[in-house]
Amino acid sequence: MNRFKSGSARSGILLATATALTLTSVTACSSSSASGASASASDTLTVGMDGDSAANGYDPAKYTEMRQFFESVYDSLFVKTADGGVKPSLATKFAYNKDKTQLTLTLRKGVTFADGSKLTAAVVKKNLDRRNDAALVAYGNMAKGGQAEIKQVTAPDDQTVVLTFAKAQPTFQEQLASDAGMIVSAKGLADSKALGVAPYGSGPYTLEKSGSVKGSKYTMVRRKGYWNSAAFAYDTVVYRALPDPQARANALVSGQVDVAAVAGSTSSFVKSRGTGLSSLGGTVVTLPVFDKKGTVSKPFGDERVRQAIQVAINRQDLVSGLHKGDKPTSNAFPSSFDGYDAALNTTWGYHPDKAKKLLAEAGYAKGFSFTVITSQANQTDLEAIQKQLKAVGIDMKLKAAASTEEAFAAVSTTPLGYLAFNWPEPVVAMQAVVLGGFLNTQKATDKQLTAYTDAAAGATGAKRTEALTKLNARLVETGWLIPLYESYSYAGYNTKKVKPLTFAGNDAYPLLSSIKPAS
Amino acid sequence: MTRFLARRAAMAVLTLLAVIVLTFALVHSIPGSPGAVMLGPGASARDIHAQNELLGWNQPLAVQFWDWITHAVRGDLGTSLTGGNEVGPDLASRLPVTAAIALGATALSGVLGIVSGVVAAVRGGLVDRFITAFSGIVVSLPTFWLGILLVYVASIRLGWLPATGYTPFADSPVDWAKSLALPVLSLAIGGAALVARQARASMVEALGQEHIRTLLATGIPPWRLLYVHALRNASVPVVAGLGMQFVGLFGSTVIVEQIFALPGLGQVAQAAVTSHDFPSVQGVVIIATVVVVVTNVALDVLISALNPKLRAA
Repeated sequence: MNRFKSGSARSGILLATATALTLTSVTACSSSSASGASASASDTLTVGMDGDSAANGYDPAKYTEMRQFFESVYDSLFVKTADGGVKPSLATKFAYNKDKTQLTLTLRKGVTFADGSKLTAAVVKKNLDRRNDAALVAYGNMAKGGQAEIKQVTAPDDQTVVLTFAKAQPTFQEQLASDAGMIVSAKGLADSKALGVAPYGSGPYTLEKSGSVKGSKYTMVRRKGYWNSAAFAYDTVVYRALPDPQARANALVSGQVDVAAVAGSTSSFVKSRGTGLSSLGGTVVTLPVFDKKGTVSKPFGDERVRQAIQVAINRQDLVSGLHKGDKPTSNAFPSSFDGYDAALNTTWGYHPDKAKKLLAEAGYAKGFSFTVITSQANQTDLEAIQKQLKAVGIDMKLKAAASTEEAFAAVSTTPLGYLAFNWPEPVVAMQAVVLGGFLNTQKATDKQLTAYTDAAAGATGAKRTEALTKLNARLVETGWLIPLYESYSYAGYNTKKVKPLTFAGNDAYPLLSSIKPAS
Repeated sequence: MTRFLARRAAMAVLTLLAVIVLTFALVHSIPGSPGAVMLGPGASARDIHAQNELLGWNQPLAVQFWDWITHAVRGDLGTSLTGGNEVGPDLASRLPVTAAIALGATALSGVLGIVSGVVAAVRGGLVDRFITAFSGIVVSLPTFWLGILLVYVASIRLGWLPATGYTPFADSPVDWAKSLALPVLSLAIGGAALVARQARASMVEALGQEHIRTLLATGIPPWRLLYVHALRNASVPVVAGLGMQFVGLFGSTVIVEQIFALPGLGQVAQAAVTSHDFPSVQGVVIIATVVVVVTNVALDVLISALNPKLRAA
């Protein structure tokens, strides 16, 4: 073989050429910055989203948690405030009748949609009259049979809308400060196909199609003549879909995005790179009991069995082993909420002997078995809990979801689930999720839970706190919810471009209007 | 050659048809439905049924298939069941991303691999042992690990290249190259190692053949002997391997697209399968199948040109 070594010079040249090609492709790209085009302009804000915000098109009513994205192109009747409350927006005034079964909204004058049409009471009525369409999940609890059912919407004149409820709704305006309160123009409502590919809103920005790639990047440019333009600091907002937590963290740390939701698993990495990080408690990771009637698994119909599970879990071990930085809790509510009661952490803490006793009293001294559906996100937690339950005789079998449908259907096919519950306003959460939403497909009832929810809804100050405290305790006592730990949501930001991020109450996604340039 | 091409084209059409039917059957056999995905947890069976009715999911399979294929042959790949967007234009905008990554990675791994393999075969000794051992290590490195490592070093530590995202060539050729550099390198490094091992083995075999010794005895310059005669002989399996690698890389981009958040076909395929968005899945599969079929035909033609003996086979 050595006889061919005379060709080594040419081999070397070839190798050098190849190396040069490689390096060219790298170094040609290695000019001053890696930040990409998105974050280069000072008047552009690039937001890293944890998923595709327009996966099902641009009708905000098709979503329940896309406020941060859709508030760029849609106005809502009410908006959240920095302190977590709500204030009028498209509605300038609102008033309830005496028994809180009717809400009268006065609409803002002179508002136009991006398509040139005007905001009228008839348009608002048309939006809300879609509430019984099952595909419009934002209206879920406002639909027929929902906890906040709207019986009728009328538009007596161009500026007035009257909502009539099936029962008293003293804080209904809070439900109109997110996706459900966003108003689509008449043109958008009339053409669902068009609404599938473009927004039809009256918001501060419009979608720039040339700068957008479905499922990847959505570029919003400031809309001239918007009535509240001063509230939004940036001329252009680019939303980038970065579902992979590490990719999102990388984009944030390397300056490709200015603001991003940061997963707990990457928060230390983000912080270690000197990137700004705001954190918010308020998410209680919980095992919700779906089968309160014992239809799927008979033992779950007995409150004592649910209580046994409540006290069979060693939350401290779970947090120490798997969720450092989070806080073990036996409270249904987050620690920042009115109604949080530290004593519950002791009463419903880790008491395996009590768990065995409760099981014996319920007639399950030898234990029982049941199956839960797992996902990649909760597999490890559930495996840890599986061992703890096994110690008191409960055999929890884990089955990985074979499809999204199977995972979604778990609320009615399995007795117990796993939920990172980012509590919004507690009464709304009770009405829309716990009593009347997907956590209660069996429509189970508990007089005390309903009574405390109603009491909290109609009260203020100390009376409200008292009602919420009782509600929190009752949720745990009944075992409707089996809280595990309170986890933190993180929002990362580029400190050179953006002022420290703040949260609107318990909402993990900062308001777009609250994001301001650093200088 | 005409008959050869006609035979290959007929096979290609049959392959495409078979894949379309198979994909249709697979998408419909996966548990779940688009209506259930759209309505979310807790939706009643009645609402899911009504939603599926609206989406056309409840129609007999034969009707759905016929409806889709009659539109597809006219170039209309349908509308996404969940997003409402036209599938054809959406996929057309994503194809350049995936194609650029796969082509770039194939080209780079070809250049690096062939050079390394030939150098190892020609130089022998320590150089050979080093290249063989090094390529053995590199070939076992997972793409996702390489991708994460490259992002950490080139984007986060050095700030040379973007960690995520894609810039179209028309917007900025420089930014386009920047956005592709790391994904292409992630895929090409392992590919280059494979090609290097294959090129080395082929070159060693070619150099051992009698006609090469005869040519050497005639006094032909060594460079001509190596790069014209021996390399041509050695190139057939390497070219075939590169073709297969391109097909493999076209599929592997799913992982790279996730790591680098690139708007390619892999990203849409993943979302479409999860949501039972049959038209989108079918569209991706057709594109992928066409790529595989066309690559195979091109490979056949190229290999026939390199080795005329194969044309008669």
